[in-house]
Amino acid sequence: MAQTMAEKLLSQHNLAGEAVSAGDFLEARIDGAMCHYHAAEPMHDLALEAGFQDGLPRVWDPDRVYVLLDHHQPTLSQKLADENALVRREVERLGIRCFHDSEPGIAHQMMLDYGLVRPGELVVGNDSHTLGYGSVNAGATGITRADMLYVLLFGELWFQVPHSVLVTLDGRQPDYPVAKDIVLHLAGEYGEDFAQNMSIEYAGSLVPQLSIDSRMCLSTHGVELGAKFAMFDADQKTHDFVKARSATPYTTLQADRGASYAKQIRVDVDRMPFMVARPHQFGNVAPVDDVRGVRINQAQIGSCANGRFEDIEIAARVLKGNKVAKGVRFLISPASQQVYLQCLKAGLVETLIEAGAQVITPGCGICQPRVGFLSDGEVCITSTTRNFRGRKGSQKADIYLGGPLTVAAAALTGEIVNPKEVISGL
Amino acid sequence: MGFDLNQVIRGRVWKFGDSIESDAINPYYRYPTMEELKQHTMEVYRPEFPLQVKPGDILVAGRNFGCGSSRPGLVLREVGIAAIVAESVSRLFLRNSISRAIPIFIAPGVSAIADDGGTLEVDYPRGLVINTASGAQARISKYPAAIEHIYACGGLLQFARARFLREQEAAGVKTN
Repeated sequence: MAQTMAEKLLSQHNLAGEAVSAGDFLEARIDGAMCHYHAAEPMHDLALEAGFQDGLPRVWDPDRVYVLLDHHQPTLSQKLADENALVRREVERLGIRCFHDSEPGIAHQMMLDYGLVRPGELVVGNDSHTLGYGSVNAGATGITRADMLYVLLFGELWFQVPHSVLVTLDGRQPDYPVAKDIVLHLAGEYGEDFAQNMSIEYAGSLVPQLSIDSRMCLSTHGVELGAKFAMFDADQKTHDFVKARSATPYTTLQADRGASYAKQIRVDVDRMPFMVARPHQFGNVAPVDDVRGVRINQAQIGSCANGRFEDIEIAARVLKGNKVAKGVRFLISPASQQVYLQCLKAGLVETLIEAGAQVITPGCGICQPRVGFLSDGEVCITSTTRNFRGRKGSQKADIYLGGPLTVAAAALTGEIVNPKEVISGL
Repeated sequence: MGFDLNQVIRGRVWKFGDSIESDAINPYYRYPTMEELKQHTMEVYRPEFPLQVKPGDILVAGRNFGCGSSRPGLVLREVGIAAIVAESVSRLFLRNSISRAIPIFIAPGVSAIADDGGTLEVDYPRGLVINTASGAQARISKYPAAIEHIYACGGLLQFARARFLREQEAAGVKTN
């Protein structure tokens, strides 16, 4: 029977060794686990709750567990410093070999930067944005902390095979990133849960033109559409990216001709306007022209959605020789040290600082109320992942989401504006 | 803490809309301790909720309940919510609830039949939620056996330890 990418992925990883199709339950073999060992519910506490009096008794494969201290580096409090110290002891005790301890950055970006994910693998992480690895043809999804405890012990986990939605992106890649606008368009047009529990497969004439950075944005944001997976086929760009970072052999994943899709959606990217999500929901979407003129206090580029080279490059292009609007705080947080270095070498950081932007340490803080709080009545436009009420501090602040170009144009003018009105040559 | 799916729950309804997000359910960024969370859960949507919620109350919500970050709804159990019934539940919130044996039920149509402040009966064995005043009903989607088994074990943590001990015993290893 013709299979979707998700059906093929889970059939190949089914411990029972049988082909599965949408709706089936299975126990799957896990290829890699990205583990936040700490934070809200430390794994150690869950192990105690499960009844393991000395903590987790083992990990199933120390080479397939990746621990990255991303949310809290450098630490912003004594409590976090103490938590990190516990994680270091646990990693040592359990013999976990891949441990990024002393490096700030977003785990998802580092997983890709350091070649820890390969096409065709089933990779889980206890963070909702783990879907991002679908950008390089991996089956990747977020799991809960209790699920992670199970994975760490056994290298297996239960899944329900998702139905699939085929999203065909047609059009030409303009001279700036549009991945965020595409996701916002999808959420606005079809609802922010249109892919609930489903696997998104991206296809269409735009896809070969999309950079790996843009694919990462689209896959990462799968969770904002409710999805379990958000995957791209592997092409030459995928192979170049992965092989430059990993020597591990892999087998790519591809849907069969004639596979069955629960939904099919087509987006004409050439006709799509710049999109913005208004406060306080991801799906509260409008074309940027509908909200033009909203004054802003803060603009942000960063996060696992849009903190990559191309996102920062477009900001530098917009600001080169210009100044951030008076009174606007423009925060830029590269997604990882590797991205930061790439931006430095390209001269982007110099341009941005000369223009009055603040370049802050890589990490998740820019997308949370940890770095750059908002006060009552303030307005922020950001390329980060979520605009929930209170996400940046005050519950009386308004957060808009937009692509990096829309954010940079707002930082330049001090208000939400159609980038085409202020930047020539777009 | 386990949960017996075979019991019938009856309680006062707190009604919420669509896409209730997990930062609002569990705002641990701002309130890192459970005692603080209990005073602030859901206040973004209904400031009176943390002040007036009582043990045994039932939370009814629309589509996509618990969207956003992966956060278990333990705080809702802590403030006494006896069951969550929603039109649909975000994937990670559902997995979190199953993993921690928190009673959560998907019942398309529940928003239309439940009245805020009214009484709802959640009868999983019969697969029904019932507005006891009007008699209106909506069907609960039954879980597959594998998920019912996780509930019966008291959650995935307990399920995991039981499997670990079983395998150790089979291999002749003595454990604590």
